[in-house]
Parts: sequence; C-alpha cells; structure tokens
Amino acid sequence: MIWLTWRQFRTQGFAGLAFLAAVAAYLLITGTQLRHSYTADLATCRPQNDTCFGLLNGLQSDYNGPLQLAELLVMAAPAVVGIFWGAPLIAGELERGTPYLTWNQSITRFRWLAVKLAGVALASVIAVGALSLLVTWFASPLDTMSGNRFGTQAFNARDITPLGYAAFAFVLGVTVGLLVRRTLPAMAATLAIYFAVQILVTAAIRPNLLPTTTTTVPINQSTMSSQAVRFDRSEALTGPVTISLSAPPGSWALSQTPVLTSAGQPVQTGTVLTCWSRLLSQGGAGKQGSPDFGPLGACLAPYDLHVDITYEPADRYWPLQQIETGLYLALAALLTAACFSRIRKLRG
Amino acid sequence: MTAILEAHALGMQYGRRRALADCTLNLPPGHVVGLVGPNGAGKSTLLKLACGFLHPTAGSISVLGNTPGSGPEQLARVGFLAQDAPVYANLSVADHLRLGARLNPRWDHGFVARRIAQLELDPAQKAGKLSGGQRAQLALTVAAGKLPELLILDEPVASLDPLARRGFLKHLMESAAENGTSVILSSHLISDLERVCDYLIVLVSSRVRLAGEVDEIIAAHHRIVCTRRDPEALPAGLEVVSAEHTDRQSTFVVRSGAPLPAGDWAAEPLSMEELVLIYMETAGPDPDPDPGPRPAIQDAQDAR
Repeated sequence: MIWLTWRQFRTQGFAGLAFLAAVAAYLLITGTQLRHSYTADLATCRPQNDTCFGLLNGLQSDYNGPLQLAELLVMAAPAVVGIFWGAPLIAGELERGTPYLTWNQSITRFRWLAVKLAGVALASVIAVGALSLLVTWFASPLDTMSGNRFGTQAFNARDITPLGYAAFAFVLGVTVGLLVRRTLPAMAATLAIYFAVQILVTAAIRPNLLPTTTTTVPINQSTMSSQAVRFDRSEALTGPVTISLSAPPGSWALSQTPVLTSAGQPVQTGTVLTCWSRLLSQGGAGKQGSPDFGPLGACLAPYDLHVDITYEPADRYWPLQQIETGLYLALAALLTAACFSRIRKLRG
Repeated sequence: MTAILEAHALGMQYGRRRALADCTLNLPPGHVVGLVGPNGAGKSTLLKLACGFLHPTAGSISVLGNTPGSGPEQLARVGFLAQDAPVYANLSVADHLRLGARLNPRWDHGFVARRIAQLELDPAQKAGKLSGGQRAQLALTVAAGKLPELLILDEPVASLDPLARRGFLKHLMESAAENGTSVILSSHLISDLERVCDYLIVLVSSRVRLAGEVDEIIAAHHRIVCTRRDPEALPAGLEVVSAEHTDRQSTFVVRSGAPLPAGDWAAEPLSMEELVLIYMETAGPDPDPDPGPRPAIQDAQDAR
C-alpha cells in the first residue's frame, strides 16, 4: 500500500519538490544578499549613529517586496496542499470508481485510508515546514529590525504554525473530498473553509489564547515628551481624548483605552481644551501654538490622567506559536477520526 | 463443503428505495453462477453485499462461511470485478500487476505473466489508453491473480463488443478452471451467460424469482399446449409459471418437481433464454409494495 500511495502521489510530489527547490534557490540567494547589506550597513553607520535608523529603514523597504512574496507563499502553501493534495486524494478515487479495485485487494479500506492519509500528510507537513523554515531564516534580519513578531503575516508565516496549518488543510481537503465525493467542488469547499478558519483563528481566537497583560501609562512630562495630544474636535467639546502610546518593545499590543481620569472615566475633550485655552490666554503656550506639556500637564495633573494598554509580552511568542500549532493539529486529528468513521459507512 | 454464498431473508434499503428484499439463497461451491435480471433488479446490490462493499439492512449473508469484507483474510478469498472494470487510468499495465502483487498475500506471478502474454497486453501501456475489452481483461487478471476462492463479476461484458465478450469469457473460464475458482457473474442478458453458467439465479424487481442448477431448471420446466382450460384444471403438482390463452387453446409454462405426467397435451422443453424471459415477464414491472405470487393468467389476459 505504501508503494501504491507513492506511485499515485509521485507526480504531485515531484511538482511540489520542484516548486520548493525554485523558491529555496531564490530565498537563499536573496537572503544571503540581505545579510551582506545588513552587516555592511551596520559596520558603516554604527560608529557615527548608534540606531542606524535611516539606513536600516532603507534596507527594510528594499527587501519589502521579497519579504511580502515569501510570506504570501508560506500563507498560501497550506491551502495549496489542501486543495491539490488533500481534496483529490479520496474524491478522485471515488469519482473514478477505483476503490472497487483497491478495496478488493487483500487490504481493508481502513488500512488503505490510513496509509494514504499518513503518507501524504507527512509530505504536506514536510513541504510546508521546509518553506516556513526557509522564510524564517530569510526574514530574521528584517524581523530583528522591525521588532514585530506578532503581526498577522509575521506570525502566520514563521516558525512552526505553518506546520499545523499544513496538517489541518490537508486533512480538511481529504475529509471534504470524502464527504462531497467529487474533486472540483471539494477543492473549492476546502479553500473556502480553510481561509474562514484562518481568519477566525487569527482575528478572534489567537488574542484570547493566553491571559493578557495590562499596563497603566501615566500622562506626564516623561511619557508625553515625544507625543502630541490629539483632540476629538467635535462641536460639543465632549468625547474621549485618545493618545497613541506604544506597548513595550517586541510585544503584541492588543488594545488601548482612551485617556482616563483617576476614576477610570474617559477624560472629555472639553476638559483638555479648557486647560489649553487658559494657557493660551496666559501666553504660556510654546512656539507655533503648541503648548509644551509642562504647563498643560500642571493644569491636567489633578485629573491624574493615564492610559491602559493591553498586550501580550514579547516572551509569549513561542507559547502562542505552540498553542496555535497544537490547536490546528487537534483539528486535523478530529477530521482524521471523521474520515475513518465516514469510510466505514461509505457505500460502494 | 461450505456454501460459496448463503443468504437468509437478505434485504437492502437505500433510504426509502428498496434494492433487494427477502433474498434467500444457498449456492453450493464449484459452480459458475449466473445472476440474471433486468436493469435495476438488484444484481449489483446483491454482489456488493457479497463482497462487503455494502452492509445489509435486513437478514444475513455469509460468503465462504464468513461475513463479507470482515478482514484481510476474507478479502483475499473473494475477488471482485466491478461494473465497467475500474482501473487507474494513469498507471501502466505493469503498475496494476505490481499493485496486485503488493496488496495480496497469495499473488500468482506465473499465472498473471502467462495471462498478460496471452492477452498481448503491453506492460508499459497506460491503463487509460487500453480498449474497453483490454481494460476488462486487465481488471480480471488483477482480480484472478490473487487466487480467490470465489470470483464475483458485476456485468463484466455489458460494455464489450461481441468479439471482446467471447475473449473475456474464455479468459474467465480458463482462469477459473486453472485455479479451481467458483464464479458468480451477473448480466441483464441470459445470452451472455448461457454458455458459461451451470447455475442460475433470476432476480427481478429486487426479488429472487428462480435459483438452481441449469440442468435441473431445464428438466423441471415444460411448455404445455392443450385445449383451452383454466390452470386449475391441470393436474396437482404442476406449478403454473405463465399461461396464455387463445380462443381454442391454452399454453402453459409449468414447473414440476417430478417427471411430467402424461396428459392430453403436447409438451416440449424450453431453452434457458425463453425460460428466463418468461420469469422476467411474469414478475411484472414493479411489484409494489409486496406483490406476492400473481395469478399468471391475469397477466397473459392483460397482454392479449
């Protein structure tokens, strides 16, 4: 049965391998160039300017195209595997009546399904895993520069999550094929269901997988030195005031409250405006009409203003990767069980 | 010896559609069994039940003394060739033989090699490029190569031209004889099976109408032509299968366990083909829900 699985999968397997080889060549070459530029840039600018901000920014934008392409490939790969390897695996056979041939050799249909599923699932996980590994390596200097590991593309197209996606997408394709019994509709349904699950998990489930951390940032001279207060310029002079503050470096900012008073109520625009106009009338405003936060802060100090930021700390990256991979693997296991129960009841 | 197929009140229902009802059979081993019936009579259902593709919704079935499809050992003992002889279009003839060799514990390489040579099949040819006859022959070779004790074939010759039919049945009979295999094969045409079967089952509208050895069936049935009379006027012990009446004379087809008693009639034997057609006709097109034995005379009058 292993031989038959291999014989049937051979063409698709080689096609996948050829594609993977082409992508690998491209990423290895581009990635090596990227590393050269990165170390060279650091060597030239470090002595003069410790942050190298402008130079590295330029490097990031130079390699943005290849990075986007690589991430797109990793995110599309599980879907492609589900559609082209998963969906036709059983549906293609049922469509052509070939199970009548194979199920009448001296093997049970359970063994037939088990070997086919396990063999091609392994190939799927290895192929997508190799691609993910390549892209993770390629992107690591860029990730270090951006410090953003929790963005949708950065999280979904790095390290181990693509392995879970691949296992899930493949088994999803097989299951849908077994239920629909026709290849083309099965392919379409697999694509739709896979992306629906991806969107659901990314947007709604991942932020709730681990308890979040909330930190309170006071609004004072030190936190506001590089910030500008933005007003909601409504006529009524009411409504909350928002200030964009960044979460701790490398963490995943999930949400941020408006500016709150000590009572936990959003401070109203009118309150800030009152302080501001008082400063302006006293002539205490800074140059170009932008008040230095000092006097404004003194006026606002009685309110004890602060902002609550909810985030996942940077060290939650690996736990989140592991939990999400586990979640997808569990889904794949459930679908596998459904396949076996379905094939038992399948009528010839 | 164990019966090759034993069924008791076997029934199969697909949702609300009844495909097979109240089927009781006991097929002794060593026969070539023909299963005849019109399209949709339940032939495929019965054969799929016999090889374990389907599980009955009523009654019981055992094949070679075991539950069909119960495990690898049982699968190894029963070969099945499905309708339209499915093969993997993109695998070569040699690949199919390798498939058979890999998936069966008792694969007979010598037998298969001889068959392929006789059939003049090119091992490198893709199965999808074979003619219908060659494809059926290949599928038969794979089914027979695992040396089953029972070979089940569902409408194996339905899509073949007359020459290919002949070749296929010859191949089948040679394989069965060489390996001592019992065979069950179905067709909607008795003429396909007449030359090869020594046991016959007639299945009409999901019910078994007739089952027995061909010789015994032929010997037990007679066509009687006599002056016009009611079937009741015939001597006891004669089961009337069909009756036709003209103004003056009546023609009965009767079944008799004992030799036909002498009477004021002319009696003649029937050919297998005539007999099967009569059984198919008298069953009526759709006996819903339970027809029971219909008075045959009524049918004939309707037909007139």
